[in-house]
Amino acid sequence: MNGPQLKLAGFACAYTPLALLDAAGMTPFRVLPVGGDWPDQAGTLLHDNICPHVKRVLNRAMAGDVPELSVMVFMNSCDAMRRLYDAWRAIRPQDRTFFVELPPTADENAVPYFVNALKRLAGELAEAGGDPIDQARLLNSLVAWKTIANLQDELRARVRRGSFPGGPARLQEIYNQCASRPFSDTLAALDALVRAPEEAAGNKGLVPVLLFGNVLPDPEAIALFEQCGAKIADEDLCTGSRLFAAGDPGTDPDPFRQLASMILGKPPCARTFDSSAPLSFARNVLSRARQAEAAGVIAHVVKFCDPYLARLPAVRETLRQQQIPFLLLEGDCTLGSLGQARTRIEAFMEMLR
Amino acid sequence: MMFQYFDTLVTGIENVLENDPSQKSHRKLYALEVARLGRRLYSGTDRLAWCGVVAPFDLLAAMGVTSCFVEFIGAMLAATGASSEFLKEAEDAGFAPDTCAYHRAVLGAGRKGMMPEPDFFIATSAPCTGGIGVMENMAAMFKKDLFVLNIPQNDDPASVAYLADQMRSLADFVSRHTGQPLSMNRLAEAVTYSNRAAAVMSEVYRLAEHVPSPVCAKDLRNFGIVAALLLGTPQAVTVAEAFRDAFAARIANNTPGVPGEKIRLLWIQNRVQFKNNLEDLLENEFHACIVADELNDVTWDPIDPADPFPGMAKRAISIPLNGPVERRVKHLADMARRYKIHGAINPCHFGCRQGTGARGLVALGLKQVNVPVLNLEVDCVDTRNYAPGQMHTRIAAFIEMLENRGNPWG
Repeated sequence: MNGPQLKLAGFACAYTPLALLDAAGMTPFRVLPVGGDWPDQAGTLLHDNICPHVKRVLNRAMAGDVPELSVMVFMNSCDAMRRLYDAWRAIRPQDRTFFVELPPTADENAVPYFVNALKRLAGELAEAGGDPIDQARLLNSLVAWKTIANLQDELRARVRRGSFPGGPARLQEIYNQCASRPFSDTLAALDALVRAPEEAAGNKGLVPVLLFGNVLPDPEAIALFEQCGAKIADEDLCTGSRLFAAGDPGTDPDPFRQLASMILGKPPCARTFDSSAPLSFARNVLSRARQAEAAGVIAHVVKFCDPYLARLPAVRETLRQQQIPFLLLEGDCTLGSLGQARTRIEAFMEMLR
Repeated sequence: MMFQYFDTLVTGIENVLENDPSQKSHRKLYALEVARLGRRLYSGTDRLAWCGVVAPFDLLAAMGVTSCFVEFIGAMLAATGASSEFLKEAEDAGFAPDTCAYHRAVLGAGRKGMMPEPDFFIATSAPCTGGIGVMENMAAMFKKDLFVLNIPQNDDPASVAYLADQMRSLADFVSRHTGQPLSMNRLAEAVTYSNRAAAVMSEVYRLAEHVPSPVCAKDLRNFGIVAALLLGTPQAVTVAEAFRDAFAARIANNTPGVPGEKIRLLWIQNRVQFKNNLEDLLENEFHACIVADELNDVTWDPIDPADPFPGMAKRAISIPLNGPVERRVKHLADMARRYKIHGAINPCHFGCRQGTGARGLVALGLKQVNVPVLNLEVDCVDTRNYAPGQMHTRIAAFIEMLENRGNPWG
């Protein structure tokens, strides 16, 4: 963690190197697809059959509901993010935009290349008014990142124990705040929460489930699962635990190398995979469900998300073989689409009881 | 079934060419080589790799591996009217109907035993992330090793070096599976064929720019993307030369591809792969000619046979469907200028986030060079939602508009 930060660095993908933004003296600002009722204009630039996360982020930007940004950082995570980058540059030419290559695998060629991409971004951030990033600054930010991840782990444990008032919906609010605040503020806020005594929050009688997928940032949407009788025993969403989750930094003293390992070693979004173990994504879901002692698994995936759509049949089959019930919900990042699924969630929870 | 199909096709064309040499044409030669490739793919005797679209097919040819991008099979199934059965198979297995139908058809074919078992898979991250997902599924289905080539979006020295290193690793991967080391002499020979073919293909495209154009819609349909499968072989050169000679002769004889050519069109991305009457409609009813296809272009420089990996890497990065849309639009605008295009047609392949995703940006970009774009709502492989009447109406209105505004290039 470094000094006071006012310059906003926009981003939209959970693979964004937030520690690098912090090291550059910038405040991460996640352009979330919630918080406004923006006119649907993205279709003028992109096809309607593209990820609703990207379309809503674009709608938000087209409606002018994005603060002044020092930079906007895009990750080459999927086709939809590539198109968001293209469209963003068309509608907000005044922004300094950076596009960071992100390998889909972490093989021997990928890691050094990603390290160079991160170093290049560091230079670009400095040119865009950020602080020059030296090793000490980046190491500080990596420590801060890991501390944030640990503190969030503790809050998740409390949610599981039913000792965090507000439960998973409140935790989602906290995730959203963490995504758009200086690391220093995030650390202070999380530290205060963890120091507060645990209180009974009353999740007895709820059935434990694993919730995984991509974009589901609305706390009301998260609350809906509990209202339907689900206790989120574990969660793996890119707008949830995955943003600050970090892989093993390894033993290399180069902090850029550590940063690359921590990002590529995160719990993977479906776009990242191990080529030596095809469809291990499905086995990871199974393993996580077992670890959480989940009675069932719920996937929430935004429509038209090719990386997830390609892996979900394997997830379904893997869970079926282990007789773990599975519910797939497709959404468009609005509470409305999930509200329509309430009956299905209720029926699923009824079946699990 | 597929082997018999390709074998019959090969035999039929060979017999025609042998018995009646006057029937020899560039298109027949092309069909023959594609059919021979199909026959090898399904022969069960060749070493085989299923690949992503921008795999280095000349490298694989030099290493004795018959290879093909899987979308080719999706297109073949559509062209033969057989895709629906395989699309349904994939959908029944849980693959969502709003994903790319090229990929769903391949997944369905794999599940129904219609894809020959390969020795290994080579995925490429370009043109699309959907394609990688298919390769991962296929590798799991066949329990075969998967190599991933990450094609950077950025065209810069570091990205080229990274991809070149990956291609060297790919050569090692292939060697481990075939037991044969890479011969740099064979690779140099293959690259020399690729360079020669690319040079002749450039000539083919320059001839197609002629006004009136010597090409008709079917001449160069799928040509650039399928010809990539022949790179590294003398057949690539032979086929390209046949096209060049045919077009040169048509120009010399003042025989345009579409008699009475009035409208010159640029086709964006891929053609509709199943049987349809759009091209006939354009040519016969409106004297409109598809003179250019976005993917029919040589976007790379000759590759150094003595040090081929950087050049092959640059080639993969250079394809129009890779990189930011600005680069793609610049390429399209350049084609529009070179071919003196009146208008462009973009068949917005349902389920394609990479190519079709940016359709509004593509249309805006071409508007800046005064080239209108017709966005068609169509799935290029799946016939089930195809509405020919609607297509006819939209095309007719588009052509009428083009006729009324004249040629933007004077």
